[in-house]
Amino acid sequence: MAVKSMGEYDFPSRSRQELYGDDQLVSVWFQDTMWFASPAMFRAPRAMTWADFRDQMFVPFAEEDPDYDPAAPRTWMLHGAPFEPRDDQTLAELGVRHKDVIGTRVAA
Amino acid sequence: MQEQTTADDPQTKGVRDVGVVIQESENNRPVIEAIEADNPGCSVMHSPGLVRITAPGRIVITQETVEEKLGREWETHEFQMAIVSYFGNIQEWDDDEIVIAWDH
Amino acid sequence: MTLAPENKTKKAKKLSMKARYEALTRGLDWEPSYVEKDEMFPHLDYEGIKIHDWAAWEDPFRLTIDAYCKYQAEKDKRLYAVLDGFAQGQGHLGLTDASYLNAMKIFIQGVTPLEYGAHRHFAYLARHFAGPGPRFAALCQSIDEIRHMQTEIHTLSNYNKYYSGFHNWPEEYDRVWYLSVPKSFFEDALSCGPFEFLIAVGFSFEYLLTNLLFVPFMSGSSFNGDLPTMTFGFSAQSDESRHMTLGLEAIKFLLEQDEANVPIVQGWIDKWFWRSYRVTALVAQMLDYMLPRKVMSWKESFELYFEEQMLGGLFEDLAFYGITPPRHVEDAIKEKEILSHQVYWTLYQFSFAAAFTTSAPSDEHMDWLSQAYPDTFDTHYRPLWEKEKKNIEAGGRHFAPGLPQLCQVCQVPMLFTEPGDATTFAQRESEFEGEIYHTCSNGCQWIFEREPEKYRQAWLPVHQIYQGNCGGPTVPEVLEWYGLQDGDAGEYIGSRDHRNWQAWQGEAAADTATPDETKAGA
Repeated sequence: MAVKSMGEYDFPSRSRQELYGDDQLVSVWFQDTMWFASPAMFRAPRAMTWADFRDQMFVPFAEEDPDYDPAAPRTWMLHGAPFEPRDDQTLAELGVRHKDVIGTRVAA
Repeated sequence: MQEQTTADDPQTKGVRDVGVVIQESENNRPVIEAIEADNPGCSVMHSPGLVRITAPGRIVITQETVEEKLGREWETHEFQMAIVSYFGNIQEWDDDEIVIAWDH
Repeated sequence: MTLAPENKTKKAKKLSMKARYEALTRGLDWEPSYVEKDEMFPHLDYEGIKIHDWAAWEDPFRLTIDAYCKYQAEKDKRLYAVLDGFAQGQGHLGLTDASYLNAMKIFIQGVTPLEYGAHRHFAYLARHFAGPGPRFAALCQSIDEIRHMQTEIHTLSNYNKYYSGFHNWPEEYDRVWYLSVPKSFFEDALSCGPFEFLIAVGFSFEYLLTNLLFVPFMSGSSFNGDLPTMTFGFSAQSDESRHMTLGLEAIKFLLEQDEANVPIVQGWIDKWFWRSYRVTALVAQMLDYMLPRKVMSWKESFELYFEEQMLGGLFEDLAFYGITPPRHVEDAIKEKEILSHQVYWTLYQFSFAAAFTTSAPSDEHMDWLSQAYPDTFDTHYRPLWEKEKKNIEAGGRHFAPGLPQLCQVCQVPMLFTEPGDATTFAQRESEFEGEIYHTCSNGCQWIFEREPEKYRQAWLPVHQIYQGNCGGPTVPEVLEWYGLQDGDAGEYIGSRDHRNWQAWQGEAAADTATPDETKAGA
């Protein structure tokens, strides 16, 4: 169903990727704790490596949880399926799109 | 937190309740008394500052009874000063009475 | 001999209410002679609503200008008498606790601007409806709404002299993340056609949900020593009864005019129930967490004012026209056990960037919550607060060290969980013209997918911060852009309001030489 309007109605997204230059928005969803009230959103370069994303963005956020264990192995989810990112892969190479949500939990 | 006095259990009758919420104040006390007098099946619930009156199917507020309780003239428009909320449909708002009821 | 001329103009018997209302709404109307009617009312066709007979609109209140002015003046007189007395008697010192005012801060920041928006748009309806009855009702509502805005500002300005968080609300409304929730809701309605706005605000917000917003709120202020707020609440709510009537009259009118209107109206009810309901999430947490002295829980309030009165009463009535209860209402019912806890937990950890403060609930407060929510509080939320208690003892204080993902439609952080599963965050993803969008619930996703061209334009605070549009890339820069000052945000305990409150209560205790030193935290 289209918007009912008096004239033409077609305006761009206010969050489209080009507004972030070489970066994009990426959210991290903590799937095994309710400590963080919602997933966290970051702005990250598409060319950022997984190791940098994890160490510079994810870890500083996650370690605010007193139960966060930096040594615990974690599983990661993307597009509804588990994925195993290598440290040297960039977000773009991993197929992480603008506004994608990466799920994570401590491996069982 | 609330105290409720129920004259009748409306749920057993299959008639849907209507209700009106009134500010609890010295000015409004006679209005509340009039509603209680004119609607014998009603329930009254008090919470801080508020009185909620419900009745199965219909609530009527009559000018005559309110005037009697107040001891002065009262036009039905004045009920706007007392009402906080209601549920149901205002079916009538005339010179002599206000009726709240469901249409269907 | 006559001492004075005979009074010839013996008071004529006034016309009946019915006759006066007829004279006002029908007698003063006219047919255009040099333009066509659809040129005079050009906005009435494009939504697809068909009206055959505008004269069929009946305002049960039968309000006329003289009666309107008389009673509105009286309402204002009563309110301002209370405000004066409160200010002169330093009434703010009689509140249960300064933390109570956090609810009022959210109110003036998030609700007062909506009154102004409603004022503007009902003025538009008063111009654009082709029937004199609805035009006059809309005109009265437009004047009511600006009165509400003014009385709210006057009332709460008394607190601005002594407390943080009240000083910059109009700008905050346009900028601050949690205020984008009510703002985007209302602007969504303002950008609809006249009939959809009427169903959105007049019916879904005013009739279906306003009781949830105002009634427990007024009891809450009464119970926490806030006489002025209680009084403006009553003053506004007495108008609200008229607005509810307009909303209900509107929906019945549209449904009776043409059968083709029924599915259109149903779609609007489905959309606007959920949009309005999401805004009430802010009220849910106020009732359960922000009032030092509790009146009723959100769950109780939802059951009474929504489930019993609306689902059990109103929708039975509307079934006559073929209208069914709002889509996704079952999800809302399932949420009543968890909503306030999830929302407050969110505000608690993001209040470093808010114009109010938060604090962990005391043991006594948690016991009340356990009692009010026997099936959920002890299982899901007490453990979080116990963990936070230890965290605080260890010198921490849980503030999220970053920004939340937001729902594209309601703009609330993605804090809601799957219906019936309180431990799995809900994530809904939709794709439109090559871009993905996230929504928090079935309801918001359905709304997005119905009109993606509209919602893709959403000004989402987190996205805007990351684009650099909100003062700069760091949190302090953003807070400065929000206009926050020292004492507005963060933790309540130890805040400026808290310290002042303790000092003032201490002085009062010293003055009267009573041993009861402070009420803070009561």
